[in-house]
Amino acid sequence: MQHVQNHPLAQLQRLKSEPAVFIALIFSVLFVALTVVAPLFKMVGEGFSPTGLQAFERYLSSEVHQRIILNTIVMGLTVATIGTAVGFLFAFVQVKLNVPFKGIIHLLALLPVVSPPFAVATAIIVLFGRSGMITRGVFGVRYDIYGLDGLTLAMTLSFFTVAYVNLRGMMEALDPALDEAATNLGANRWRVFRTVTLPMLAPGIASSFLLLFVEAIADLGNPLALGGNYEVLATRIYVTIIGLYDTTGAAVLSIVLLVPSLVVYLVQQYWAGRANVVSVTGKPSGTPQSIDAPLVRWGLYALVLLICLLIVLVYGTIIYGAFARVPGVVHDFTLKNFDFVLNGIGRQAMEDTTRLSLIATPTAGLIGMIIAYLVVRKQFSGRSVLDFATMLGIAVPGTIIGIGYLLLFNNPLSVTLPLLGDVTLIPKLTGGQGLFGGALAIVLVFIVRSVPAALRSGVAALSQIDPSIEEASTSLGADSARTFRRITIPLIRPAFLAGLIYAFARSMTTISAIIFLTTPQTKIMTQQILNEVENGRYGNAFAYCVILIVIVMLAVGILYGLIGARTGAERRFQGGR
Amino acid sequence: MKKHLVTLVATLAILLGALPAFAQDTLTVLCTPQEDWCVAMTQAFEAETGIKTNYVRLSSGEALARIRASKDNPEFSIWWGGPADTFIAAKEEGLFQAYESPNAEAIPAELRDPDGFWAGVYVGALGFCSNVNVLEELGIDAPTSWADLLKPELQGNIAMAHPATSGTAFTAFWTVVTLQADALEAEEAGKGYDEEGMPTEAAIDAAFAYFESFHNNVLQYTRSGSAPGRLAGQGEVAVSIIFSHDCTKFQIEGFEGILTTTFPEEGTGYEIGGMAILANAPELEAAQKWYDWALTAAAQEIGATVNSLQLPTNPDAKVPELSVNLAEVKLVDYNFLAAGASRNAMVERFDSEIAPRPTE
Repeated sequence: MQHVQNHPLAQLQRLKSEPAVFIALIFSVLFVALTVVAPLFKMVGEGFSPTGLQAFERYLSSEVHQRIILNTIVMGLTVATIGTAVGFLFAFVQVKLNVPFKGIIHLLALLPVVSPPFAVATAIIVLFGRSGMITRGVFGVRYDIYGLDGLTLAMTLSFFTVAYVNLRGMMEALDPALDEAATNLGANRWRVFRTVTLPMLAPGIASSFLLLFVEAIADLGNPLALGGNYEVLATRIYVTIIGLYDTTGAAVLSIVLLVPSLVVYLVQQYWAGRANVVSVTGKPSGTPQSIDAPLVRWGLYALVLLICLLIVLVYGTIIYGAFARVPGVVHDFTLKNFDFVLNGIGRQAMEDTTRLSLIATPTAGLIGMIIAYLVVRKQFSGRSVLDFATMLGIAVPGTIIGIGYLLLFNNPLSVTLPLLGDVTLIPKLTGGQGLFGGALAIVLVFIVRSVPAALRSGVAALSQIDPSIEEASTSLGADSARTFRRITIPLIRPAFLAGLIYAFARSMTTISAIIFLTTPQTKIMTQQILNEVENGRYGNAFAYCVILIVIVMLAVGILYGLIGARTGAERRFQGGR
Repeated sequence: MKKHLVTLVATLAILLGALPAFAQDTLTVLCTPQEDWCVAMTQAFEAETGIKTNYVRLSSGEALARIRASKDNPEFSIWWGGPADTFIAAKEEGLFQAYESPNAEAIPAELRDPDGFWAGVYVGALGFCSNVNVLEELGIDAPTSWADLLKPELQGNIAMAHPATSGTAFTAFWTVVTLQADALEAEEAGKGYDEEGMPTEAAIDAAFAYFESFHNNVLQYTRSGSAPGRLAGQGEVAVSIIFSHDCTKFQIEGFEGILTTTFPEEGTGYEIGGMAILANAPELEAAQKWYDWALTAAAQEIGATVNSLQLPTNPDAKVPELSVNLAEVKLVDYNFLAAGASRNAMVERFDSEIAPRPTE
């Protein structure tokens, strides 16, 4: 029976009987093919064109570029290691230690999600730079923060949240009975941790490590601000496009960056899959034991507090800097920075960015849910391909998506038909002369980057809902579309909205994916922040950051109101995986 | 749920409808000087003509790259500001259209293109902009020669922009090429310059050798030409190589007593800030209006209101008090035509040979 059902012809037959599902499927496939797969193909094609192959040879044989690749990998590994360790520490303290102020610590750990690129890096320069308020002001040293050390600090603070949320979820799901069993068998706490807890968490640790690695090598904002002469692939790609407009060279470098990103993503999927096996053993049969050895407890707690202090310091600097004449140098209070942002060019950027994110967010949520529904509930061959292709939107570094769009949509796509002549299928999307002043390309990138989060939260939610509920609806006479609308959507609404929060924050704070797509008509805040940072107008940059954080927080607040506080900000991360 | 969907669709429609609409009278300016000057200029132009004026600030190398990429269907109509070398390179590539502005007559002939493809809107000289506190700590004086910049004490303490993106940095680069060519020419005629007045291969190699050791002292190549001045002001580096008017601007805007300007004794480079109408400009009429307007004395006096103290090219425009006096600074014989013609090859070589090199 199973066999007959899965025959492609039988599938087609079945889908035809449900036109709504059929249309949804066609739409999803077309959408993903056009907005994710095609730009990537175009970029890879450009990289393997004759000139691209020459560039490959030139780059791979040049010592300078080998160094850049090495730098990228070293940075990725360092950030992944330290970031995972910090995330683990925070998770451990939250789950296993009975200490005060855990709520505040949790919120501080989540703060980086709403923070725009450059905010942390710029604050670090003001605090720990050569004339930093701390390094110089307190300790009197002229510390050189530019390079791997500064990057590691900035990226760890920006990305450890991913590891924290990931590991915390796993630790909470661990069955305390196992710890108890080991203890009863005579193992001491350290031995339990080493031989029971750690191995159980291994898949989570590995998957956090890999996620952080990809985030780090794909990051553009931090290396631009803090890299100094420590050049990495992302900044190299950026200069190749912005400075030389050498799209072929950029495509070649992108492929070099794409390979480790994709490999790591695939490996991570494998590990995450194994991690799930652990967490579905059922509800924990008891509450996790607290660790009460004072040395361990207060030692770890002190470490966490120290990092929290750092986070408070960094965000405090952002707020202080927004009101200072020259942050770190001339402390006079001023509103000039906000005046510049709100009454100058920043206003348009603020409106454009918010508007485009508001368009992209619900659209991405909807598309993500539809694909999740198809993938989880409907039987058709190529389900996993559709899932994978959709996830590429986030698995691939943002710069690469941006270059793909630039290459694919910079000219109208047209076909020559026998009778009608040249027919434009898709008009030019990128650049100032593109459709809607290039805004559509940016919205599409926002959507493509956000759909994966919605898809994952949708899949997670749907997997937990017994299909029999939907079957009941169907047997009562509702078709698939109606069941989806009336039963499925309301049931997965919390996950849906949580995915939306994440998508909105992501769109508002993205830089790498849209940096090549902003146009005179469509200005994006993160791009403006980059301008200010690069010109050293840190006050203006901080003012932008504060405004951006406020907008995101407002949106989060409104959406929270819609779902109720219980569904927790952390849930959105399950989609981020 | 149906209601929600309707609301959603309606909201999306409204948001999409509110996307930038294209009215008739608009102008999109590609602006290269510092951002606040771009704002002041576009606002003044809009107030005077009623033409809705948008701008994007790009450093001149980026601007050239961007224009090149969309030359058949440009996003901008006029390019205002940035060293003329880049304008000459762009003219050679056919990226501009000639325009005989009635106001061009007022501008001295050596400050504009004889064929009318571009005109100078300001002039400025390159200088060293240093942080006195950092210098004191390092125990050295402000540099007064190009050779001073190679001192080991300055390791990691110099900032300059990337010549590929910044016209300022390219001016610095070409100044060094000129100095090397002059030195070789002094040794033996024909050694520094060829018959056409272009620097010889040997002169260029000597310049690259200079930048190779210079590179060791550089903290960061920024994208925009004036940004290094801020890095110096903030004490992140000791010395920045920028146009002297940008250093003065920073002094006025918060770094007074912190930054100091010096000039190299061998001679320094200077820029003519250019302006040109792009080939296939979508808003030709408005662009021509801007071109005429930007050459007037009134428009050239706007810079001073935002502390941009470049020298005006229109002799009738008031010279700001704090502007550099070119008569007091030793200038190199900067050959704009040679610089413009060599620009692309030079920045590519710089970008692949110098910028990504690891430093000790």
